[in-house]
Amino acid sequence: MLTELREVWRYRELLWQLVRRNLKVRYKNSRLGFFWSIAPPLLEVLVITFAMKRATGFAEHFPSYSAFVIVAMIPWSYFQNAILDASQSILEMNGVIRKVYMPREIIPLAVAISNLIHFMLSWLVFFVYWWLVVGGPLLPTTVWFPFLVLVQFMLVTGLGLLVASLNVFYEDVKYIASILMRLGFFLLPIMYVAEQVQHRSSDLAFSIYMLNPLATLITAYRKVLLQSPTVEAIGGPSLPLDVAGMLITGAVSLAVLVGCYAFFNRRKWQFVERP
Amino acid sequence: MGWVPLPEGSQWAIELVGLRKTFLLQHQMAGSLKRAAVTLLRRRRPESREVLRGIDLRVGRGETVALIGRNGSGKSTLLSLIARVYRPSAGVVRVTGRVAPLLELGAGFHPDLTGLENLELYGALLGIPIATLRARTPEIVQFAFDTPDMLEKVDTPLRNYSDGMKMRLGFSIAVHTEPDILIVDEVLAVGDEAFQLKCLRRIADFQTEGKTILFVSHDMRVVRRVATRAVWLDGGTVRMDDGVGAVVDAYVAAAEGHTALT
Repeated sequence: MLTELREVWRYRELLWQLVRRNLKVRYKNSRLGFFWSIAPPLLEVLVITFAMKRATGFAEHFPSYSAFVIVAMIPWSYFQNAILDASQSILEMNGVIRKVYMPREIIPLAVAISNLIHFMLSWLVFFVYWWLVVGGPLLPTTVWFPFLVLVQFMLVTGLGLLVASLNVFYEDVKYIASILMRLGFFLLPIMYVAEQVQHRSSDLAFSIYMLNPLATLITAYRKVLLQSPTVEAIGGPSLPLDVAGMLITGAVSLAVLVGCYAFFNRRKWQFVERP
Repeated sequence: MGWVPLPEGSQWAIELVGLRKTFLLQHQMAGSLKRAAVTLLRRRRPESREVLRGIDLRVGRGETVALIGRNGSGKSTLLSLIARVYRPSAGVVRVTGRVAPLLELGAGFHPDLTGLENLELYGALLGIPIATLRARTPEIVQFAFDTPDMLEKVDTPLRNYSDGMKMRLGFSIAVHTEPDILIVDEVLAVGDEAFQLKCLRRIADFQTEGKTILFVSHDMRVVRRVATRAVWLDGGTVRMDDGVGAVVDAYVAAAEGHTALT
């Protein structure tokens, strides 16, 4: 794996070119550019807030419900876009990798990095809004934020390598991925918070629920950036910031990255031989 | 096994030893989960086809070698192995210096980006530092687009380019970046007469600079004119390897004999 990484480093200029290309292509031919990356999740947040706060009484007592949804929606959009982009990435570059040598992992890696840049821009927009416009409190736990970004980047890159290589051989993968994404939206604590799951289920069931690294990550983003919701909002005491849980998720994400990269490397020479 | 760089001082530019390449056959290879499941249930072993059956070939520095042979004889596979696109099934590929496969700015390049933007990506693919590439861009563009009509389109999206223009730009960048070994797989056919002549002149410059060129062509006129040596591939083995005149004569005679029989 070290030789492989050294080879990627040797081709860093190409990696950068691909990242730039991904960013450019996204905004080419649109006048509003970056707006189109943040508008869809923002509209979703608006509609969810309406549905949960005005149309039903679900989020009635949440102090700033939409902030909770946004803080979950930004990492979720990153995950979703990066994985779906990655699943198509190798096939899109097939014309090139059939003719020229390059370390193949550069393609899904570039997808993960360009989506990371979007992700950080989305956070920037949120931070400006939250701290400067709304005047939300800047919590000391915010120091954990870069760690969470790093953990999520490892997770997204690992799974991106996995789906990118699988989709070359089984094009069903991109359909499966998009179905899972739709289910994930409801399964993950996005419209609700993890505590609401905890209060309605056994300890075992809740532990299984939190085994999902994304559930832990989204919960952690909320804990480090926002004040906990009140007892009456979520029907029980809120969980403390779970430092051990975050470290375990970090270790799991690293393991996912290493495992998926090894899987990718075993298959990467067969990509071009796919009929 | 595999792809190994040759040491700096080697007299060979390319050295192939016992090179074999086997592919799985298309109809047996899983393209979807359903097909994978069916294949698994039937317990059929995937069929394979050996495209190259033991090639030994040495190309000296500064040589220009043409690969000729009928369709399916393994010419393109051989070039792809040298360009490190495939991994050998057996045997070794040794190469000195930087290999530049000539490619048209087609599939894989983005139709919404301009020719210049795609040029930067291609440069990075060939391992050229961005600063070097930018410095040479005017020269590259001028070589590729010699009429004002074409020159006008440099800044427009690639989808406005004709096939000929994509090939021109691809050729131009490949030859302006000083590779040690140039690999050309029948792309010149798309260009018009004037550009073909220009390419042949540029290839001649390359030859005087002592670069190594390996190319595939079905145009025996071009083969005779450019190459000094020709390798005739037949059914994945080297049938003849000699001066270009002798090999082309034998190849043409065989092709005519074959046509006469049918």
